Amino acid sequence: MEAVGHRPYNLVAELTYRCPLRCTYCSNPVSFRSVPDALDGEAWSGAFREAAALGVVHVGLTGGEPTLHPDLAEIVAGAAGAGLFVHLVTAGTTLDRDRLAALRERGLRSVQLSIQDARAAESDAVAGTRAFERKLAFARDAAALDLPLTLNVVLHRGNLDRTDELIELGRRLGAQRLELANVQYHGFALANRAALLPTAEQLERAAGAVARARTAGDGPEILFVLPDYYADRPKPCMGGWGRRILVMTPEGLVLPCHAAAEIPGLEFFRYPEHALRECWESAPGIAAFRGDDWMREPCRSCPERSRDLGGCRCQAFQLTGDPAATDPACALAPDHAIVLDARARAARPAEALYRGDSRAKRPPLSNPRRDS
Amino acid sequence: MNALSPQEFEARLREIGRERYHHRHPFNLRMHAGTLEPAEIRTWVANRYYYQTRIPIKDGLILAKAQDPAFRRDWIGRIHDHDGHRDGEGGLELWLALAEAVGLDRERVAGQRDVLPGVRRACDAYVDFVASHDLLESVASSLTELFAGDIMAVRIAAFERHYPWVATEGLRYFRARTRQAPADSAFGLAFVLAQARSRELQDRCVAALERKCEILWSLLDAVEAAHARPRLSPHALARLDDDEPMIVLSERAVKLGGSGREILQLCDGARTTLDVVAELAARHPEEPDLAEDVHHFVEEMTKLSVLVRET
Repeated sequence: MEAVGHRPYNLVAELTYRCPLRCTYCSNPVSFRSVPDALDGEAWSGAFREAAALGVVHVGLTGGEPTLHPDLAEIVAGAAGAGLFVHLVTAGTTLDRDRLAALRERGLRSVQLSIQDARAAESDAVAGTRAFERKLAFARDAAALDLPLTLNVVLHRGNLDRTDELIELGRRLGAQRLELANVQYHGFALANRAALLPTAEQLERAAGAVARARTAGDGPEILFVLPDYYADRPKPCMGGWGRRILVMTPEGLVLPCHAAAEIPGLEFFRYPEHALRECWESAPGIAAFRGDDWMREPCRSCPERSRDLGGCRCQAFQLTGDPAATDPACALAPDHAIVLDARARAARPAEALYRGDSRAKRPPLSNPRRDS
Repeated sequence: MNALSPQEFEARLREIGRERYHHRHPFNLRMHAGTLEPAEIRTWVANRYYYQTRIPIKDGLILAKAQDPAFRRDWIGRIHDHDGHRDGEGGLELWLALAEAVGLDRERVAGQRDVLPGVRRACDAYVDFVASHDLLESVASSLTELFAGDIMAVRIAAFERHYPWVATEGLRYFRARTRQAPADSAFGLAFVLAQARSRELQDRCVAALERKCEILWSLLDAVEAAHARPRLSPHALARLDDDEPMIVLSERAVKLGGSGREILQLCDGARTTLDVVAELAARHPEEPDLAEDVHHFVEEMTKLSVLVRET
């Protein structure tokens, strides 16, 4: 059961990168269109059985938009059959109530719905398509089917000032849980950072709204995640690299986090060419940053290293070009100035790129220090 | 902000009572509607006794804050009311008579053997509040007495009508309080209205009274929860037989220790939490803090949506 002390509990199964939305802060790879859905229902079911044997108890079916995978029903049944808690993360625009009911019959236990803003016009503007009303209908369907609902809203400069309204929306839709997570600046979001990063004053007001709602206590449980850029310490990204969460991409690549494949020079294994246990325990890319042997100063001797587990390797790479560098989100990091500089520029207006925009074709990360 | 006039301030205090006093708590509503089971009445009586024991201690703290002999002369009467002037007198004694009238063992109640952890927490929070706040706020927190006279009258009528198995002799505490509470609260109210002359002081009195209402409310929450029948949430996936037993929920998992697993297995929707405690006590007579652990565990698991409770 134990993977050399690194039992994964949660499997993040990215079924496909295809998505009907075009959010400006999407954290999936910028070149996502070229990635095929390599695993069919049978292959995913095999992966779930092997994951359960490794200790996984929960699977989040995600993407892209996971409901666009043609074998979704078989995939849900395969996960439930492996004894996993099956959770679906969706944009909510692709399933009607009958199809959702059929998935519930197959073993789906809960859903997470993404909403881009509290108002239709603003939400649709971020998504790059008309989706808001359809999302509300999905939330009502989930409630009617007694599927616990998490509402997920990615916060950024453009919607942070409507945190009150978002909480009210969560309450109205009967969400058990509301995730208000500030943008993580990976993938496409990093290219749009100048347009997305909020000001400190905005964050403070939003935190106030969250505190008031928690005191009132009659709405959903609220998870409020500050952007790394405004915390003085990094987050324990993914609960630690290769520690608790196992990510599988649409091509079957097994990763410690969904952005890890963007770090060059790291070798990960692909399922089903390798057994899942081998992908998790033996891939050099996962071994590279597991535990704390890889850490340098100031992390190596830092008493907080067991709390933040070294922060985010992808962020370290994307901002400094070196994945072993101290996460620049940390105030103790030699490269913390990069983050301070982005913070200082947060107040200036900037224009966002959409997926499919001709300007967005070139991966924006070829020079990681480009906009620092 | 300007201070409220005494009339406005009093109206504000009374509004808190209308909205937040425990006469609106579901447990009291059921008590007065006559639908409580004898076991629920008994749990309430045994637990409310702990609250009664805290009152003279709280009043002693208030006495120790007062500079004015006239204030102390009046306030000390409350301690006499509760403790009497000799053995066998006073409100605590009357409450023990109630305990006997509902079929409880007097010594067991007096020894506080069956006090629920949530009740203990609520009552101790009241004493802590008074210990850590000034005289004005402490007196303001006692103003729930303004609303106590009415509830006692309702309660006496409800007991006589719906719970004839409780000997009428047992209701003497309630009858005594219908006389004492109005007199006590008139004194307390006059003091608060006279002393809280700024808006800031008035707001602090309001907050103190609200806090006290919360404390009384949570006492009944704990009594109610003890008789609720917890069961595993239909949305939870139980993996109790794993090497590392856990409950899996949407986007989270809760790991269980060995005793957690045993408690959860007994939470079948048929047993009340008290039944679960009794069953475990029979299995593990050597465990001293078992009741405390079970109530705490059920409370935490309910907060985490692992358990749902039906009353």
